[in-house]
Amino acid sequence: MTEVLDIDGVHHRYGPHVALDGVDLRVRAGECVALLGPNGAGKTTLIGLATGLLARQRGRVAVCGGDPRRAATRRDLGVVQQTMGFPNTETVGELVRGAAVRAGRTASAVGPVLAEIGVSDLRPRRAAKLSGGQRQRVGLAMALVGDPALLLLDEPTVGLDVTARRAFWQILARRRDAGVGMVLTTHIVEEAAAVADRVVVLHRGRVVAADTPAGLAALLPDRTVSARTAVDEVTLRALPGVRTVRRDGDRVQVGTTEPEQVLRGWLALDRTLSGLRVEGAGLEQALVSLTGEQVPA
Amino acid sequence: MTTYAPVLRVEIGEGLRAILREPTALFFSVLMPVGFYALFTSIFGREQAVGELPYAATSLATYGAFGVVSVMLLNPGIGVAEDRTRGWLRVKMVSATPIGVSLAARVVAALPYALGVIVAMSVASLLIAGPVLDVVTWLRLVAVLVLGGLPFALFGLAVGFVASSNATAAILNAVLFPMVLASGLWIPLEIMPGWVQAVAPYLPTYHLALLAQAQLTGAAALGHLLAVLLTTALGALAAGLAYRNLRV
Repeated sequence: MTEVLDIDGVHHRYGPHVALDGVDLRVRAGECVALLGPNGAGKTTLIGLATGLLARQRGRVAVCGGDPRRAATRRDLGVVQQTMGFPNTETVGELVRGAAVRAGRTASAVGPVLAEIGVSDLRPRRAAKLSGGQRQRVGLAMALVGDPALLLLDEPTVGLDVTARRAFWQILARRRDAGVGMVLTTHIVEEAAAVADRVVVLHRGRVVAADTPAGLAALLPDRTVSARTAVDEVTLRALPGVRTVRRDGDRVQVGTTEPEQVLRGWLALDRTLSGLRVEGAGLEQALVSLTGEQVPA
Repeated sequence: MTTYAPVLRVEIGEGLRAILREPTALFFSVLMPVGFYALFTSIFGREQAVGELPYAATSLATYGAFGVVSVMLLNPGIGVAEDRTRGWLRVKMVSATPIGVSLAARVVAALPYALGVIVAMSVASLLIAGPVLDVVTWLRLVAVLVLGGLPFALFGLAVGFVASSNATAAILNAVLFPMVLASGLWIPLEIMPGWVQAVAPYLPTYHLALLAQAQLTGAAALGHLLAVLLTTALGALAAGLAYRNLRV
């Protein structure tokens, strides 16, 4: 299948700080890839390179085979950003028409895309009068009006309620079925698990895991045992069945595939164990285990 | 071959709507220069200022320079800073149109605004002092002022590329008002202190005003033209360097 995004061996630094350290990422037509990772993992830099906002330092970045720094290549690209800062003096119709013309389309593309997103009624409304959710939907209309082959979605559902978020992903699912490739960055791990075909976990500028959401969760402990305890992390790590140990405030979280065995060992060490919880670990726990950092809410 | 004419139309339309739909900005850049011109012309309108020319004519060059520089320095610069601050410039930079087209359109959209200031002053002149210039001379004056305003747009963009929208407005106004005062655009230099007269030839507004006035008097203007061209080159250099440090 055709690759719409090909990132190969990319390194990027800001002065002495290494933002990306040999990252590869390929997205095929009709595939949705979620980029996950804690703040500072390199997601924004990777998106910046794919949009052409940042100049490539080392490695290869190609959108539909072209360099995204070239304006002509960006005809294949649609971008939805976390905050769409529209000029307050423009109407929705004018904003989407502008996006269409900048993408090399005519104004006739505006009506159908507004109808597809369900914002035709907003057409005469000034951007200043839009709610956060309406702004995101208008941003999506602007990204889609050029009929892109690749969509870069940077925290696209921030500020949307559950219903609006579901509608948003239904629209994108139709586009994906029509062959549009997508890269999504999000802090909402459940969203990534639900919509992405593949999840790529970035940590400190490196890809630390790449798999389907289910495959990624299966690689890692399927239970989390957590409690308040006097036992230190090093001692806990030595217990049989323990895969990961992480302190979160006054609690310690232990990742394991054998919770009963871990509990027996833990209780033998600490009879005063309190606030005990045993939970199923999903993609979020996998992410925490891979990066050793909490995903921001 | 790629044609950017439709994009330019869209971008210029956006720039013009920003001006027309938020007319509060008109106060400083239109009402103030036109009001000052009307006030002083109603006092000194028919008095001779330079050679045979009445004050109403010569001050059309100086106040016209003030009005055009106000618009061209402030409008594109503050507009770009606002676009940057709210993330709109980023939206344009990831679009399929080279950002240079959008920025050029920002400047072009300010030109009708600048032209409107000169037309408003000319109407005030006609109403107060009657006809003081023939049509050809007036057209030459307008062309020099409008084209001469372009380097100031470059300096405005340079500030707008690196400062926030509030800071850009503050910086550009802090530069504009002392510069126009020290160039003799409000008050004739002859009645200003000696040190102001000494500073004036180093200011681009001084040369733009004298280049504009030369269209009326026929005085030698090559030096002023070169000064305006040098200002353009420096403005382009400043805008280019600031763009390299652009953060969106």
